[in-house]
Amino acid sequence: MAQRLAQIAKLTIGLWLAGVAVAMFLVVPQYEGLGDAGRIVIMHVPTAWVSVVAFTVSAVYSALYLWRGNPRHDDFALAAAECGFLFTALATVTGMIFSQVVWGVFWNWDPRQTSIFVLLLIYAALFALRAAIDDPARRRQLGAVYALFAFVTMPFLVFVAPRVADSTLHPNCAFIQSSQCDGLTLGVGQVGLLGDRKVQLISLEQQGDQVAAEVIVSEPGLTSEATLVPTYSISAGDMQDRPEFPGMRFQLGLEGADLAAGTALLNIEAPGTGLLENQRTLFTFMAANIGFTALFIWMLNVRANLLGVQWALARRQGAWA
Amino acid sequence: MSNLFEAGVAIYVAMVVTLSVWIGIFMYLWRIDSQARALKRELERELQRELPVAPTATLTRVSEPAAQPVESEVIEK
Repeated sequence: MAQRLAQIAKLTIGLWLAGVAVAMFLVVPQYEGLGDAGRIVIMHVPTAWVSVVAFTVSAVYSALYLWRGNPRHDDFALAAAECGFLFTALATVTGMIFSQVVWGVFWNWDPRQTSIFVLLLIYAALFALRAAIDDPARRRQLGAVYALFAFVTMPFLVFVAPRVADSTLHPNCAFIQSSQCDGLTLGVGQVGLLGDRKVQLISLEQQGDQVAAEVIVSEPGLTSEATLVPTYSISAGDMQDRPEFPGMRFQLGLEGADLAAGTALLNIEAPGTGLLENQRTLFTFMAANIGFTALFIWMLNVRANLLGVQWALARRQGAWA
Repeated sequence: MSNLFEAGVAIYVAMVVTLSVWIGIFMYLWRIDSQARALKRELERELQRELPVAPTATLTRVSEPAAQPVESEVIEK
């Protein structure tokens, strides 16, 4: 009976994620400024979320192994770390595709990209460590200790580092209400960084109901520059014209202006901002999160079973794997 | 071939490719899962067969006039 239920659950995962894939293309609407490329958020964020869950599960089983000494716990800890690594790699690849569409390059060492790359290296080192030790008891013990240390870095690298960095282009504001996307306040003549672009406020002047800011934007490496003029409506208290950065789909917005002080609040407007305000996108996104989490649980069990079988076979042959 | 990448068609092509990849991954995972469970069951069965049956013995005191069984114990290997 239990086995039949498990089979039904696995088939449900298959159909559920197939439904998510169809919904991603046919149900979710296009995003303003991003077109069809924005649909990748339905895959990108859930895979990143599952990697966080997987590394947490790995740490819990590692602690259990150190406490109880049960090899089965070590199997689950390793399986969870491997799944986490796989899902992190998937999140990185889908993020790179997004990056190519909106920034024009697959990889530009944005703080978010750099932190995820470091996380991949940390967990790759766990597998290297385990592969380098022949004695199984010692391998499990050191692997468990290392997995706990690796887990401590994960929240910092995934949640903290990209948010404390001033110059990330990652559209955090789209998903997390409390994310800080405060922008940059510049006085006339001052220079600052928005993302990886150097910006310089040249002038700020009122034109009727609107305030226009003349801004020189330089490409990374200062290879070229362009002049953009975002505007702000005084009566509406909101941004008006938002010109696109040269070569990318992010826009330059004038979020506020103090004419007396001669300062302007400039910000990058990510096209992805506000994606989940659409109900169809939100439901598909939630369905993807549930589906990928269930897939992870299934993969975890399969891999842990395989490790258990591998270990039993090695013990049977009298050779310690 | 080139019309596969036209604006109206490309999204369906991308959907079909994504679904094909997912079906492939699902079938692979299903197969690996079945094989791992079968292998695990087989190993457990073999382990049961190979487990030595614990021998039992009844010790009888022969020097005493009344030869009564005094104790039984299981000798483990």
